[in-house]
Amino acid sequence: MNFGYLLVVSTHKDFNYLKMAYALAMSIKNTQKEGYDQVALVIDDKSGLDNFNSPWVFDHVIEWNQETFWDGRSWMDKLTPFDHTVCLDVDMLFLRDYSHWIDYFTENTELYVANKSYTYRDELVTSNAYRETFTKNKLPNLYSFYTFFKKDSNLANEFFELGRQIIKNPIEFKNLFLSNFRPQVVGTDEAFALSAKLLDISDQISYPLEFPRVSHMKPMVQNWPWPANSVTDHVGFYLNKRAELKIGNYQQHNICHYVDKNLITDEWINILEEVLWKK
Amino acid sequence: MKKGCLIFAHNNRDIDYAKLALLSGSLAKKNLNVPVSLVTDQSTVDWMTESKIIDRANNTFEHIIVIDRPKTDNQRILHDGFEKKVIPFVNSSRSNAYDLSPYDKTLLIDSDFLIFSNRLNQYWDTAESVKLAPAANDINSTDRLGYHDKFISDTGIHLYWATTVMFNKDLYSKLFFDLVETIKSNYKYFADLYMFNPKQYRNDIAFSIAKHILSGFQTDTLNSLPSLLTVIDKDILYSVDGKKLTFLISAMKAELQIATAIQDTDVHIMNKQSIIRNFDNLMELV
Repeated sequence: MNFGYLLVVSTHKDFNYLKMAYALAMSIKNTQKEGYDQVALVIDDKSGLDNFNSPWVFDHVIEWNQETFWDGRSWMDKLTPFDHTVCLDVDMLFLRDYSHWIDYFTENTELYVANKSYTYRDELVTSNAYRETFTKNKLPNLYSFYTFFKKDSNLANEFFELGRQIIKNPIEFKNLFLSNFRPQVVGTDEAFALSAKLLDISDQISYPLEFPRVSHMKPMVQNWPWPANSVTDHVGFYLNKRAELKIGNYQQHNICHYVDKNLITDEWINILEEVLWKK
Repeated sequence: MKKGCLIFAHNNRDIDYAKLALLSGSLAKKNLNVPVSLVTDQSTVDWMTESKIIDRANNTFEHIIVIDRPKTDNQRILHDGFEKKVIPFVNSSRSNAYDLSPYDKTLLIDSDFLIFSNRLNQYWDTAESVKLAPAANDINSTDRLGYHDKFISDTGIHLYWATTVMFNKDLYSKLFFDLVETIKSNYKYFADLYMFNPKQYRNDIAFSIAKHILSGFQTDTLNSLPSLLTVIDKDILYSVDGKKLTFLISAMKAELQIATAIQDTDVHIMNKQSIIRNFDNLMELV
């Protein structure tokens, strides 16, 4: 089986997405079984890799600069070097072995998009915050942060092609299909959800599964009794020497989508590197 | 393996916990068909003698275990319908339940938890050594319980209810109760670590933290006792008619009350004074 994770980043003036991708790639290498730990990086300028001690965690580096920021992810099917791919948001960390689910996906589906998320207390997120575009326009509740697909699948190709069209023509698609609640930006989540709805494939690509379990650290979905601007204002993130993560008083085992783009410090990078080197 | 029920009762000047324990113990004995023991202190025993319930207590309880009265400066507000009062709260001896219980498998209950069914008998023989109630369900169905009846603090861990605790005498349970004792002894430290208000010692919080730690710093509501049907202390037990208990349930924001009745259902009645007022009728059910 030729499987791997695909991370797509581009240079940003405020945030170091490459550093986040490096942390995620190390966490994948640290936790996944051999054969399930390949990582490909798509980047607009690969010179930034020279700053890292272990750039080899990226098994493939693909220099590509046709799109910027998150728009690049909608090209995941064209960019991947793998037959079977999971494309991830880069502001995530892997915290245990999830390899057995890859076997499930490769055997059972050509395209699967995450459709739920969890709080740091492992409660299912039911809040409508950040998701009014989805609920008011009756879109499937898709999250592009974890997208599995098979290369050369007609289903996946159609889905991604329409997704690209939506991202390229946001005003037209907003006017036609998102009139009940117009998002400021049609991001990858909205594009994927609308693509699935228009193609009428939601049930094929987002049926209920116990995986991926992703703890989504957006502040307004944490079931707190008051509004919050940032999760890190209210609970601590503690990475120990074994690269095990606690948030508040909760040990994390789900994939952690930490959202805060400044979370990955040099100290965290050092911890992840030490675990990597000892493996 | 001897199974039995254990109840703690330490009277204060406002609440006759011994009387409550006699009622809840009698109901547990009848409906679960297991022996029941009481943990209490000498002053409470003296009051039981003076109030002439000691004979009934001796008939009901297999053992009356007398311990030193726990020192406490705990106080809490207790409602009785629309009335309320600040009362002392002697609740810190429950971490000793493991050592004090005469049973191999123990159901530890609060004295205001009344057992009217044999439902809890289904939980004696399960793999888990310590089981707690994972939640309280408001009898009013619309949820009047607060956020801190579900979590120990705004950002903190899940709150289990120590109103019902079932445990085996084994190493895991020993560890659990030792941990509860450590949390109790270092309550302010744990309040800082778990970000809850330490003003009043709560067994629910100490037991929740111990459960959380021993579950790998995670919530585990699967391996639990059933959730508690709960009547909050602003509600009143109005009458006991045969097996039917009728409550006046207080509405959220108005001085309105709604009548609700239950039968053959285990219930946690937080308005202790209204249990006392209906004591004789409730004892008829025994």
